[in-house]
Amino acid sequence: MVIERPWKRWVYFYIPLTVFLIGTLFPFYWMLITAIRPDAELYRSWRAVNNAPFWTLNPTLEHFRDLFQKTTFPHWLWNTFFIAVISTGISLFCGLLAGYALARLKFPMAGALGTSIFVTYLVPPTLLFIPLADIIRNFQLGNTPWALILTYPTFLIPFCTWLLMGYFKTIPKELEECARIDGATRFGAMLRIIFPIAVPGILSAGIFAFTLSWNEFIYALVFLSSPERKTVPVGVVSEMIRGDIYFWGQLMAGALLGSIPVALVYSFFVEYYVTGLTGSVKG
Amino acid sequence: MNRRRFLQLSGIAGILAAHRAPSFAQGTKLHIVRWVDFIPEADVELKRQAPEASKALGAEVTFEFINANDLQPRITAAIQSGSGADIIQMLWNWPHLYANALVDVSDVAEPIGKSQGGFYDIFSASAKVGGKWLSMPHGVGANAIAYRRSWFNEIGVKEFPKTWDEYRDVGKKLKAKGKPVGQALGHSFGDPPTFAYPFLWDFGGAEVDKTGKKVVLNSKGSIEAVKFLQAFWKDACDEGGLAWDDTNNNRAFHAGEISATLNGASIYIVAKRQKEKIKDEKGEPLVQDIEHAALMPKGPAGQFALYVPFQHSIMKYSPNQKLAKDFLKWLHQDANYGKWFEVNEGYSVGSTKKWEENPMWGRIDKPLQVFRQAARASLMLGHPGPASAKATEAYTKYIIVDMFAKGVQGTKAEDAVKWAEGELKKIYEG
Amino acid sequence: MKKPIAGGANGSVVVALPHPRAQQSRPVTRLLESERLLAVVLLAPTVLLLGMFIAYPFVSGVWLSLSNTSVGNPGHFVGLHNFAKAWDDSIFQQAFRNTFFYTFWATVFKLALGMWLALLLNRSFRGKRLVRASMLLPFIIPTVLSTFAWRWMFDPTFSVLNWLLYRTGFIVTKIPFLSDGVYGMWCAIVVNTWRGMPFFAITLLAGLQTINPDLHEAASLDGANGWKRFWHVTWPLLKPVTLVVVVFSIIQTFSDFQLIYVLTGGGPANSTHLLATYAYQVGVATGLLGEGAAISLFMLPVLFIVVWVQLRYLRRLEGA
Repeated sequence: MVIERPWKRWVYFYIPLTVFLIGTLFPFYWMLITAIRPDAELYRSWRAVNNAPFWTLNPTLEHFRDLFQKTTFPHWLWNTFFIAVISTGISLFCGLLAGYALARLKFPMAGALGTSIFVTYLVPPTLLFIPLADIIRNFQLGNTPWALILTYPTFLIPFCTWLLMGYFKTIPKELEECARIDGATRFGAMLRIIFPIAVPGILSAGIFAFTLSWNEFIYALVFLSSPERKTVPVGVVSEMIRGDIYFWGQLMAGALLGSIPVALVYSFFVEYYVTGLTGSVKG
Repeated sequence: MNRRRFLQLSGIAGILAAHRAPSFAQGTKLHIVRWVDFIPEADVELKRQAPEASKALGAEVTFEFINANDLQPRITAAIQSGSGADIIQMLWNWPHLYANALVDVSDVAEPIGKSQGGFYDIFSASAKVGGKWLSMPHGVGANAIAYRRSWFNEIGVKEFPKTWDEYRDVGKKLKAKGKPVGQALGHSFGDPPTFAYPFLWDFGGAEVDKTGKKVVLNSKGSIEAVKFLQAFWKDACDEGGLAWDDTNNNRAFHAGEISATLNGASIYIVAKRQKEKIKDEKGEPLVQDIEHAALMPKGPAGQFALYVPFQHSIMKYSPNQKLAKDFLKWLHQDANYGKWFEVNEGYSVGSTKKWEENPMWGRIDKPLQVFRQAARASLMLGHPGPASAKATEAYTKYIIVDMFAKGVQGTKAEDAVKWAEGELKKIYEG
Repeated sequence: MKKPIAGGANGSVVVALPHPRAQQSRPVTRLLESERLLAVVLLAPTVLLLGMFIAYPFVSGVWLSLSNTSVGNPGHFVGLHNFAKAWDDSIFQQAFRNTFFYTFWATVFKLALGMWLALLLNRSFRGKRLVRASMLLPFIIPTVLSTFAWRWMFDPTFSVLNWLLYRTGFIVTKIPFLSDGVYGMWCAIVVNTWRGMPFFAITLLAGLQTINPDLHEAASLDGANGWKRFWHVTWPLLKPVTLVVVVFSIIQTFSDFQLIYVLTGGGPANSTHLLATYAYQVGVATGLLGEGAAISLFMLPVLFIVVWVQLRYLRRLEGA
């Protein structure tokens, strides 16, 4: 243990940490406050005498109520959830298989394939969305959640693959070999021995993929048009700015509620999330 | 009368007797996309009319309202994917830009125009492409300068300034009291262009010449305009306006931050309809203090105006083109259109001169009456050249708006104009 | 039947196949046994999906950029005209510069602050887990939603930051956060830093935790103070992890779309456009699809080069 004096601890540790915390969390506090302040208090000029922005004495739930009654917000929540879960499922499936193949099996072009999966990550979605719109149209998937469910894996799979690849590499080969001596096929060993051990990695990848999918914007913006089909990010951006007015109260309420599912999933699985982040980097 | 004729007549009679509208296939839907109106009650009225239209047409009519700045991307996505709404609202002279993807609606537009005394000139420029009507004119969003009567009175100004120089002096005094003029110069479809283009024309500048082929932007008039705006901005304007879209000046005006701004009637109308919430610094309803100046002040080359034409176009990919045409005819029936018109209280005026005579004008508040004949005055993008697809492209790229924004941000006027000229040349000269 | 195992001289192990059961090899079993065929089967879904939804559209996008397609008008081949036009376009040049500026500064700040935060979190203290979990929130919450919160905080008329600065006497006239090109760019960098720093912090923290504390002990006994300890002990061991994190982050930041789209829309007067948002504006809002695709493609070589350089450096580090 490196010893240090108390005042140093305060200056070098507690104060910076507090500043970080405030800086990080203040916008969320701001979202919350805006969501529960009545309109009359929200739109006071920055110089107005009676402007007390940090708290309110008249908290109201009208913004939340309007959000649910006047917009198709509940649909967006469901859509985003549905799309996120299924895309994550598909990506995990593909990533699992591909990660195993790349980590364990020897075959020609293993290196090249691994690199090309990495390269796809470099192709920006803003290049792809126009030609993708054509493909979506040809399959008649425009304005359906399937347009997203099939396109999200394009950026989720590379990530899941690396993460699981890294994970698999840490599992000793002896385990599989023992299994095979006992009569299991390679495939069977993969299924019954390796995958169960990799469950933490799978969870990490899954949660990370879930949050990435929830966060996606541009594909959802371009492929979905009806209000009931939209996802939360697109809905909040396009539906809350109505006419001459930004409904900031509802916007912030929507932003809060739209973040909660992700935050919940995250809070239950923080450890896995962190492992996911670090595992992908190391892998 | 022979038997054939009798059958014909009785057939017609049968239909009339049954009061049955021509029926379309079971479950036909007509999907119309429009902007979210700045007068929310107008959208409420349309939603109310939807079931009536559905009954009259024998198909399900649905409206979808989206943010105006999202209209163009939505149109692009729809045309590219070959599917989407049947009718989409067009603003400005967009029909020129999307000409290949729109249905010829002359058979709907011509009769209605004729029966109502003819469309405003702004429409033959914007809705007619190559002699064909590619959209059905719906209305015009006129604008005016909304200003705080009491604040102007305080500094001794009883009538709105007539020239830009006068306006600048007035603005200077107001800004010194912390009540500047507000003008949006951001990338938004309405307020910025409706200011920038006429302002340019007021000083004698223009994008192209009459033929529409030659770019003449780099002229003394344009440079004068930019120089004047640079001074006006510093002396009289709220400098945040560079980031403003169509909504910010409304908010700022209602919050008592600015004393005057160019806008449609929505500032007044919303203040009126929410008089409990929108109050001035004395606690009185703000609407009592709002006055409108019909036109922007005069510049050395004249006094010009630019309003937004609203139209509906039928998309070529739509499988329900006949239904769409019938709907447009229904929408413009006097009874239906009239109700929508009245709810607007002058925010959107009619597309033909007939609606200037509507009794609503006698009933509404005096400050709103400036909008009655406003639509006659408006020019169109690309003036004095034709309102071609290239003019639309220049608009969509916000070249003229940005020319002024750059000047205000500190670029030398000559350089800002030169930049804009270069951009225009790329569009017009390929 | 194969020979039984012998510990080979080079340490390799040969697995002996057990007898009759496996010998019944049905074709399927043989397939699943063969490494090559199994690999094909396992990789098939991935390759299919990525091929259909990345490779094919990519090629299509490249073709698009070489044509003058616009909305509703299928175009014809025009060679590199769109690229030349973009290169001459002053807005494009601004967007190009902005993208580098934005990526550079945001990455620098994220790295510095992330590292600092990681060092702070590397100690044990009460409530550490809670602090660490809440620190990650900016990264979890959908970018669009949190950027809206920031936009509201920067609002030209109702900004809470202006209010704060005004009340504490720092300013008299309001700061034009989003109304000025330069301010706007810095605001975007601030928001991006706020959002991305947790990613750096957590990953670097994990890296820090693999460093043996005895090394620090030894260094401090040798008389090294905090900064020296960091520079000579910590940093060299962290370099590989740092590099990977930086690469990830650069890829994301360089092709960022959401943040600018929501915060400024590219304004005022196109002064805060990035390549991605400008490509969207030209391609979708204006409908000039060929030109929009060309602008997007400018991102690709830059990303490639950056990543390649960093990976080579990384390989050199690991090899050393």
